[in-house]
Amino acid sequence: MKNIILKNIENPNSHRIEEYIKAGGYFALEHAVNEMTPRDIIDDIKKSGLRGRGGAGFSTGMKWQFASLDPKFPKYIVCNADEGEPGTFKDRVILEKNPHQLIEGMVITAYALQSVRGYIYLRAEYPHVEKILNDAIQEAYAKGFLGNDIMSRHFRFNLSVHRGAGAYICGEETALINSLEGRRGDPRVKPPFPVNSGAWSKPTIVNNVETYANIPYIVETSPKAYSFLGTRDAPGTKLFCVSGAVKNPGVFELQLGTPLREIIYDHCGGIRNGRALKGIIPGGLSTSILTPDMIDCPMDFANLARHGSMLGSGAVIVLDDTMCIVKIYERAMRFFEHESCGKCTPCREGTGWMRTILRRIEDGMADMEDLATLEDVAHNVAGKTFCPLGEGAAQVLLSAMKRYRGEFEYHVKYKKCEVTDPSLRWGHMSMDELD
Amino acid sequence: MIELTIDDIKVKVEKGQTILQAALANNIYIPHMCWDPRLKPYGGCRMCLVEIEGQPRPLASCSYPADNGMIVRTNTPRVAKLRKTMVELLLIHHPLDCPTCDKAGQCSLQDLSHQHGPSQNRIQEEKHSVARRTRNPFIERNQSRCILCGKCVAVCWEHQGVGAINFIGRGFDTKVSPAFEEVLDCEFCGQCVDICPVGALGNKPFKHSCSTWFLESSDNICPYCSVGCTVTLDTREGKIVSTRGIATKGVNKGDLCVKGRYGMDFIYAENRLKKPLVRKNGGLVETTWEDAMHVLAVRLNDVIRDKGPGRVGVIGSPKFSNESNYMLQEFARKVIGTNNIDSSACFGFSKVQKAVSQVFGLSSLPISLDSPIGKGAVLVIESDITSTHPVWGLKFLEARKKGSKIIVLGPRETKLSRHSDVWLRVRPGTSHALLNGIMHLAIEGAYHLKNHMSTAATNFSELEELVKGYPPGRAAEIAGVDTDEFIEMAKVYLTAESRMAALSLGSVENNKGLNTAISAANLVMLTGDGPSALQMPADYANTFGMWQMGISPENLPGYKKIEGSPGKNLFQMLYGKKPLDALLIMGDDPLSTYPDLKKVEEALRNLQLLIVQDIRLTDTARLAHIVLPEASWAEKEGTFTNAAGLHQTTEKISTPTGDSIAGWQIFRNLTRYMNSTPPFESLTALRDHLSDMPIDKGKEKWQYVPVHYEEVEPVDKQYPFIMVTGNLMQHSGALSVMSKNLSEAFPGAFIQINDTDAARLGITDGSTVRVESRRGAATVTVEVTDEVTQGMIFAPINFATARLNELTYAYEGGGAPLTAVSIQQVQSA
Ligand SMILES: Cc1cc2nc3c(=O)[nH]c(=O)nc-3n(C[C@H](O)[C@H](O)[C@H](O)COP(=O)(O)O)c2cc1C
Ligand code: SF4
Ligand code: SF4
Ligand code: SF4
Ligand code: FES
Repeated sequence: MKNIILKNIENPNSHRIEEYIKAGGYFALEHAVNEMTPRDIIDDIKKSGLRGRGGAGFSTGMKWQFASLDPKFPKYIVCNADEGEPGTFKDRVILEKNPHQLIEGMVITAYALQSVRGYIYLRAEYPHVEKILNDAIQEAYAKGFLGNDIMSRHFRFNLSVHRGAGAYICGEETALINSLEGRRGDPRVKPPFPVNSGAWSKPTIVNNVETYANIPYIVETSPKAYSFLGTRDAPGTKLFCVSGAVKNPGVFELQLGTPLREIIYDHCGGIRNGRALKGIIPGGLSTSILTPDMIDCPMDFANLARHGSMLGSGAVIVLDDTMCIVKIYERAMRFFEHESCGKCTPCREGTGWMRTILRRIEDGMADMEDLATLEDVAHNVAGKTFCPLGEGAAQVLLSAMKRYRGEFEYHVKYKKCEVTDPSLRWGHMSMDELD
Repeated sequence: MIELTIDDIKVKVEKGQTILQAALANNIYIPHMCWDPRLKPYGGCRMCLVEIEGQPRPLASCSYPADNGMIVRTNTPRVAKLRKTMVELLLIHHPLDCPTCDKAGQCSLQDLSHQHGPSQNRIQEEKHSVARRTRNPFIERNQSRCILCGKCVAVCWEHQGVGAINFIGRGFDTKVSPAFEEVLDCEFCGQCVDICPVGALGNKPFKHSCSTWFLESSDNICPYCSVGCTVTLDTREGKIVSTRGIATKGVNKGDLCVKGRYGMDFIYAENRLKKPLVRKNGGLVETTWEDAMHVLAVRLNDVIRDKGPGRVGVIGSPKFSNESNYMLQEFARKVIGTNNIDSSACFGFSKVQKAVSQVFGLSSLPISLDSPIGKGAVLVIESDITSTHPVWGLKFLEARKKGSKIIVLGPRETKLSRHSDVWLRVRPGTSHALLNGIMHLAIEGAYHLKNHMSTAATNFSELEELVKGYPPGRAAEIAGVDTDEFIEMAKVYLTAESRMAALSLGSVENNKGLNTAISAANLVMLTGDGPSALQMPADYANTFGMWQMGISPENLPGYKKIEGSPGKNLFQMLYGKKPLDALLIMGDDPLSTYPDLKKVEEALRNLQLLIVQDIRLTDTARLAHIVLPEASWAEKEGTFTNAAGLHQTTEKISTPTGDSIAGWQIFRNLTRYMNSTPPFESLTALRDHLSDMPIDKGKEKWQYVPVHYEEVEPVDKQYPFIMVTGNLMQHSGALSVMSKNLSEAFPGAFIQINDTDAARLGITDGSTVRVESRRGAATVTVEVTDEVTQGMIFAPINFATARLNELTYAYEGGGAPLTAVSIQQVQSA
């Protein structure tokens, strides 16, 4: 299997610029700056079929094109390294082990968009990464890959790290931009989209860490070579970060379209402690849960959508039969309630309401009417919120209630959990300990 | 234009409108709680969601652009269900304390809950409980009721340019709060209160005074400044209990400032005059109208007979209606037989009038309230427009948001300087030199040749000669600014697509003079922009109208020039060598606001007969022989003419205080007592006459008036500071100090001094200082701030108690009558 992103991962000094260059790094940048026009690069990225790795899976080439067609200058290049989606820890590996590939990807993007200023918006909870990134940026400046005269081609691009303050919503691109500008991290009205009016109302590209890390490979090989990887609709490789009830959790770089079964059983060694698989959350907490019979679903945008879920960030959370669905979604809802920015009514008030009812069900205090109310509220939140945070909160609950209906009803009917042996129950610690 | 279908109705709207705007413009109502026409769409409340064909989800109509061919449905069962749920969601944590809420009856949340049927309480949750904060003098916060629509935050920052409040906390815990939960540090415009859809923000003066359904509302014109905002007065049993702005009404379209919103209680001031007073045995005693009129007629006739009508003068009022002012000058001219008619505008607006007539040949130059919008560059000349004309000032902020470059010349930090693109911190009173400097650069760079008018106007070569003396280096040196920065600023102004210059010349502002106005007029002519690019607003509610009514020693009503020699102006009446023998003052208080207090006092004390007609017992009235109580604004009908020349009627909504009557009636009756025939017997007749009054517009003829910069009273060792006088946003002239609300919030006189100067002189913030000039001294509290520059003192002239006008002087020349003073701490804070 071809590794694009984790290729040098075993090298303990992979984060150093010398090692990166030794392994062929910054060649793509040189190639781009010397032999390609900005147009060429945008065309190539479009042709490669690369789709964003941050969650929404939007065509990266199209995004760049929109921004480049906007006549306003300066344009800003922003890397979304907020990595807040529960279950996700794949950008962290790039940031820690391969920061130069991210930087190289961003400089190529800057060249393609004639941008002179870039920011890496870093998750607050990754303080150690800030140092790694700043060191890497310093190295890149010293070698002339960043600065006012990059590769002596009179091309200017300056890059710095901006640390977030610990809000999940700031991973949403417009909230991120607000936060970057020093404002309150609330999402903005779209349209206008960031490609036309982003940071300081100027055209702005926001891409995920992993998305940028793919750019050098596409530029130095060819769009065609890239599209040989993965599927037609979803070319390339993807970092999957698997957690939960598997023997061998971790980050794996695999081609898009790899079946879920292969990920869980071949790469992660199957379910731990010989337990049975209960469900899979395939792309981070905001994606809908899959049942064990969907285990053969290929992991790409279209196939997951067909199964009523999403690829999201590629964070696969595996659940076994010791885990209580009600408890998991009560905990999830607490997360969404806590992280709701408070801008829109359905999310701000709805997540709290849903959490209250879930808590009641979990505590054995609910009746059937509560279940109906819960579903009704979720339906009235879904599709009405300002941004995808609240939307996700409602959707994942609805699909869990549909796919694990029995478990919810059991709680209501018998005032206790179906997962009978309390010692086995995942999460038998008190919820507050988990926080 | 685009066409879309909303609820099966085809509607056409401009491109760029949102669906909600398209619907509202076509009388299709979509509920909305976080949208306001003045603000950027927020999209938070989700009340305005509608269905759009082809879209899987409902979309927020307030923020989604309308598009050609769109098919919108605003009242499907799905939408109805969704609205009901939104209301339900909003009520979860709502305290449901409607019975004690002042907003009940005017609350959007209440209305929407009624509209969408009673919702069952499907959830038990703890109610929101946020401590009430009540330290702001005007604004009551009750955050438990807040629905987080964000409008207060947005109106304060986006529209008002203040940013006193914002959200703190996240999600459910979000609260509207001033920075660090400190005391609200704001300008008290109350815009946030008006815009709050629920009872989370309230007007403190109105608190628990009345249920909204007992209120009667009527519209009136604000009596404070010359913008002429429409205020909606909520009254209970004829008493004003609160004031609102309504988005569809008046020139202000819902905007109001602190005076307009909280200052209307001036009509209930304790020192309102209830009966006529006549001086007997040294004291003023109450009497009947008959007696007062009789005594007045006898004594006035005596003076006219013994000394001649030329020894009598009258002073009109920029705060009184056209009717009162017209009748006053009729009385002076026809009954007394004198043209000795003037007003406080002599120190201010009359200079504007002079400049306009000298340079453009026009008899008046009304401003246009929308003038800043769409201009490439807007030059603000030593004027604090957001304080003197607050709601007009908002147009400057709006213009900037729409792309205009705002250039501010002025030593003091103001809201406009904070929101400017270029701010030159000039020495007080020197902007005139910079204006000459801009003209120097314009001619040097041949900017003026882009139009043929500018060189053709009379005196071009004289102007050219004059401005030769103001090369950038010299102009910048006089103004105390960096030469390159000055050149940069001039370029921004001269190269703009379109331009405008604005300056206010209020009667208590001493940092500009006639020559500043003339120079600005020369400039707009030179750049070919013409008179409409010069915006010099009248100051008070009826300054413009008063002037038009003929309160002037030189002009009759309708600006008609007097044939023969003019009457005495204020300088001659009060400050001249041979003061008058009798004076009638209507609606003004020279002792508290006119310059050179000692001289004024002496002149008034020497009068054989002083008649004061006012709504309250002013300091001046205390010296009078006869005092006549006039009914105030809102106690009588009247007409005000705003700075844009718009006549607006003020309505009677309250019964007059005591025996006070309308000014026109006083003069009608007095005319009878003087054995003459009144020109009008009824208000209708008077009004008909005024509305048919011919206006002599003058003949537009451009003529440069080259004027040199002049320093009238330079500083020296003994008096090393320049004292600039002006108005505050919260107070102007003598009216606002009558308001209990405004006076409680802004109680007393103070001056501002720069922090470096203060440190050097050992003056501490809040201490008492003695300020002294060549004419007198005053003792006053000091505010140490970096809002003013070094070497400067700013003194608001609203508080008679401080007698700051003892320091200033009346100046008839063209320069800016700045005062050189010394300052010294006498008592620490
Ligand atoms: C609530 C929320 C949180 C998000 N968090 C992240 C994140 O942590 N990292 C990320 O790359 N994208 C995140 N996104 C997606 C971004 O809005 C955006 O789509 C993405 O950064 C675009 O980059 P891409 O096209 O390279 O995927 C989040 C979106 C939402 C709605
Ligand atoms: S759905 Fe609404 S409240 Fe929730 S995070 Fe998005 S904007 Fe904020
Ligand atoms: S009163 Fe005016 S300045 Fe004060 S917070 Fe409200 S909107 Fe802002
Ligand atoms: S205080 Fe009023 S205007 Fe401000 S957010 Fe709350 S409800 Fe809206
Ligand atoms: S009015 Fe549209 S979301 Fe509030």
